[in-house]
Amino acid sequence: MRKPRVGIFKYSCCAGCQFQIIYFIKHLKEVLGAVNIVYGKMETESDSADGPFDIALIEGAITEAEQADQLKRVRRNSKYLIPIGSCAVNGGIPAIKNMTTELEVETRVYQDISLMHSIKAHAIDEYVRADAVLRGCPVGERDLYELVTSLMLDKRPNMVEHCVCVECKMKGNQCILLTENVPCMGPVTNGGCGALCPSNARACYSCWGPMANANSSALARKFEEMGLPPDEVVRRFSLFGYPTFEFHKVAGAGR
Amino acid sequence: MRKRIMPEKRSKKTILVDYLARVEGEAAIRVALAGHEAESVELRIWEPPRFFEGFLVGRSYQEVPDIVARICGICPVSHMSTAIRAIEKAMGVQPSPQVLLLRRLLAMSQLVSSHVVHLYALVLPDHEGYPGLPAMLEKYPQVVERLNRMRVPLNDLTKLVGGGRALHPIGTVVGGFTRIPTRQELRAARDAVAGIRQDAIETLKMVAEFDTFHFGTDREFVSIRNEDHFAVNSGEIVSNRGLKASEDDYYKYFSEYQMPYANTKQTRRNQTEPIMVGALARLNLKFDQLVPEAKECAQKVGFSVPDCNPFHNNLAQAIEIVHGIEDCIKIVESLDLKDEKPLVRVRAGEGGAITEAPRGLLHHWYAVNRRGVVEKANIVTPTAHNFMCIEKDLRGVCERIAEQPMKEIRRWCEILVRAYDPCFSCSVH
Repeated sequence: MRKPRVGIFKYSCCAGCQFQIIYFIKHLKEVLGAVNIVYGKMETESDSADGPFDIALIEGAITEAEQADQLKRVRRNSKYLIPIGSCAVNGGIPAIKNMTTELEVETRVYQDISLMHSIKAHAIDEYVRADAVLRGCPVGERDLYELVTSLMLDKRPNMVEHCVCVECKMKGNQCILLTENVPCMGPVTNGGCGALCPSNARACYSCWGPMANANSSALARKFEEMGLPPDEVVRRFSLFGYPTFEFHKVAGAGR
Repeated sequence: MRKRIMPEKRSKKTILVDYLARVEGEAAIRVALAGHEAESVELRIWEPPRFFEGFLVGRSYQEVPDIVARICGICPVSHMSTAIRAIEKAMGVQPSPQVLLLRRLLAMSQLVSSHVVHLYALVLPDHEGYPGLPAMLEKYPQVVERLNRMRVPLNDLTKLVGGGRALHPIGTVVGGFTRIPTRQELRAARDAVAGIRQDAIETLKMVAEFDTFHFGTDREFVSIRNEDHFAVNSGEIVSNRGLKASEDDYYKYFSEYQMPYANTKQTRRNQTEPIMVGALARLNLKFDQLVPEAKECAQKVGFSVPDCNPFHNNLAQAIEIVHGIEDCIKIVESLDLKDEKPLVRVRAGEGGAITEAPRGLLHHWYAVNRRGVVEKANIVTPTAHNFMCIEKDLRGVCERIAEQPMKEIRRWCEILVRAYDPCFSCSVH
């Protein structure tokens, strides 16, 4: 069997998702042996970013026009293009800057902003079509295996598409939102993490991004009833990805 | 060999690596050589900035550790614990001795695993003549297996203490930990870590075989030092040139400069001088505090301080791996765990903290208002501290081997930059 040709591209992010691939997965040898990484700057020296690729994995948000240009080239040269990690899937942490004007954010950090070429932080599918998404910050091991095996067997991957609450129930956790009055984002957050935070006595902070069809305004109302000031509520709905379609009713649509 | 006739007296050439592979983040190297002299040396860190210091303004103190963890995918724990300590100082929170010990354990486990992955996945291919680790899988399966054997117990320890996952752990918060591990869990993790002692020694032997040459002039090494242990989380700033200062006086001695060709600000000492931070700096300043096993290993491979050769930073990392494993085991044995919850009283204030990330000195500074919302933030990463020193050493290496073929000069430039274990993603944050 021919090994699938994989290209891994990094845009604005912490590179943790790429590290998850070479570093944190338990079956490192099997995964590395099953694919042929033809482009991936952190893993290997390689000349061409032009492919062709069977699979292009994209991590990070787009924050410069040049990145968007390259991304479009990658799309043309790839059979499957898959954003990995919250930054690529819905903007993630870098997208918090979208809440204020670019000028304001830049002047807080650099004296001479004439040297900057930054644009608003955008998810990958703002620019190109994505064939599937691997959620998580960092990407989850379960989904990563599912993706790799699916691509090798040429079947449609079965990603987690329910909220964190489902996983909490499956684990038999007591609901911390209802019993301990902790502002947990579990009801509106896509699962896959295995309800990590609620299992560790902590409120979910939405790092896997919003779940499709989430009822964000109902949860926001609940938070307000619990006594959370409005700005606290908005912060909770704008931590991973801003603006998002699912959370825009609570957090706004950006400037 | 026939002597080539040069059109000019001084031949001009440019060494250019436009996207350095096997480092974290995106950067280019450009050195313009004229004869034996480097006319210009630029480490062009072109990775787009993400403006963390900009968008942290207006966020709650509780979110800060989770946000800054995303600065770096290799050393999230360092960013989290530095931010947490800075905020605790700003708000006057005093964590319990147990929390401080657990944090040391957490930092140490991450430091060791970061060194392991750097040495195997990023550095080793250079010295074996491979483009990357995946290509080595077929011929050196035992090396990949050793990397796997070492990182799993270390990651599991980070995961256990930090909470939930090794990358961007979720239990590490201002005031302490959301969940304290049980004794049994910690003991099991300790036994697993103790199982890789031999692999650590094998790693050191492997690193001692790496290509290197006699190089490096005297330089100022900076690290933090604490009199009772090998400090990673808190201590005084010290250097081999007599600097001894409290972390609160950081800005008196160090300042940042924006460079026209890089998105990373360059940190300088006394406005003009380079400093070196990281594993080699730590060993130069704290060799006496290493565990006896690590000292013995260092002696066996012929490492002694002072050592000013930047290529030996890899060797220093391998020695720290041996030390770190013993240190983790010791900390676990000294812990007598009791359950406690983080206690925080929100208050306005300003505070800065310095820790040792795997790649060197990391500084975070925050001002929070009375509601616990960040009003100002500043972060200086290890690679920003090393920036000027890397350029100085690039100049030195190029001038030393200027007559060699371009390919060879390029290779050594890359080896040098990788030896520093830079994290460009961190540095542009």
